Amino acid sequence: MTDMTRPTRPDLSCDEVRELAASFVLGALDADEADAVRAHLASCADPHVEMAELGSVLGVLAESLPVVEPPAALKGRILAAAAADLETRGAGSSAAVDRAPVASTAPIAPEAEPSAAPTPFPTADEPQQRAAGRPGISAWTMRIAAVLAIALLGGWGLLLQNQLESAQRYEQNVAAVLDVAGQPGSLTAVLTPDGGDGPAGLAAIASDGTVSIAMSDLPATSGNQVYEAWVIGSDGVPKPLGGFQVGETGIAYFEGEGLPTEEGIVLALTLEPGPGATAPTSTPVSLGTAVAAG
Amino acid sequence: MRGSTDPLRLRVASVTDDADRAVLVRIANGELGALDDLYERYKTMAYSIAYRITNDPTLAEDVVQDAFLGAWRNAARYIEGRGSVKTWLLSIVHHRAIDAVRRRRPTSELPEREAVPPAALQLPDVWAEVSSRLDVETVRAALAALSDVQREAIELAYFGGLTQVEVAERTATPLGTVKSRMRLGLLAMRRVVLEAEGVTAAETMAEPGAEAR
Repeated sequence: MTDMTRPTRPDLSCDEVRELAASFVLGALDADEADAVRAHLASCADPHVEMAELGSVLGVLAESLPVVEPPAALKGRILAAAAADLETRGAGSSAAVDRAPVASTAPIAPEAEPSAAPTPFPTADEPQQRAAGRPGISAWTMRIAAVLAIALLGGWGLLLQNQLESAQRYEQNVAAVLDVAGQPGSLTAVLTPDGGDGPAGLAAIASDGTVSIAMSDLPATSGNQVYEAWVIGSDGVPKPLGGFQVGETGIAYFEGEGLPTEEGIVLALTLEPGPGATAPTSTPVSLGTAVAAG
Repeated sequence: MRGSTDPLRLRVASVTDDADRAVLVRIANGELGALDDLYERYKTMAYSIAYRITNDPTLAEDVVQDAFLGAWRNAARYIEGRGSVKTWLLSIVHHRAIDAVRRRRPTSELPEREAVPPAALQLPDVWAEVSSRLDVETVRAALAALSDVQREAIELAYFGGLTQVEVAERTATPLGTVKSRMRLGLLAMRRVVLEAEGVTAAETMAEPGAEAR
């Protein structure tokens, strides 16, 4: 607030930076102060070793935490988002390459100067090679993902609701599902609500019996509520695959395993009062039948 | 779903850094499999810290996703620098988590500028080598080296996302005192880690086949 009288913060001296070092490495400066420190570090001849010294123990703080495992589905989302990012970089004109984040944000890079040093890997000027060199998600899969996601989203009015962020996340989820669907021997299922509008999505069952499901338009869960995924095989008995919670976006990505890999099995989601249900307590909010992906 | 947790709470990672850098080179080449590797290596550390700071599973997931995507996009530039990959990731996750909680806090100042993530987040602030061999005893001893008030100041800042001014207000302590608590606390921890490293370095020389996992 008092900064209003000082439109630009005066440059910090080395001593001032040293005094702020502990707070800086702990992230305890406000944004202006932190920027001022970064600006100083970027231009100062003094290496300010105190930063590295104090910062070297941050790992201890991190290691002291109780371990919490991320949900299994997070990896699929990250890889799908990275693949989509790569597609953007690789597919477009040079303009698309130019606006890749890698190239545009170098103001404080302390090591940016000696870039004359040879780099043993291609950078942004080799987008096609990059795209060709990556394993896993092929370009056609991503293209289909984009087309399909847009088609599905249009149908569900997500874009009309201007939920762009949700739309992007859903697109990433669908891309992850399609990655599974693209593998030999996979099955896919389109999950739809019983009638009219409601939660819908796409599932792929890999030949090893794992399933990936991308859903949208799920009403948010509250409290202990979970959506439980079920597989119904030829014996007609729903078998639980696991539960997940959904936030305001209504978007979810779920992975389960141990499914029979036969055409005709049914995937269903029910809303349950808590995790661990062994039999559905309500009718499915969305369901679909698995068919061969080819 | 079925995650049985890793019994090795603290991973000993004496040779991981070269391997990490090799992974980063592959990431810079756009190999999704390399991002997968990096994620598998650091997902638990990343999520644990994001969860501790945000106290919100969904937000923590977003933070971790942002951080790994940041690594995916900036690996090439990172390689030009130096320092530990772990430090780098830790710093990205920490920045983003703090950013998220500050944005969430109603009392937060900094209105406009928060809309655009600062470019500085693309690079670590501290290029230090986080000690790669941290065993349980070292962590415990380092934390035990902190006085209660030092620990409080450091935790409020590092995990609570408070600025030094906010820490001073919260603890009803002069700002200067808060600053020196943070500094002396970090230095005390560093002394313990350095001592432990001196010992383990000698041990490593004695038994080169020591397991690295």
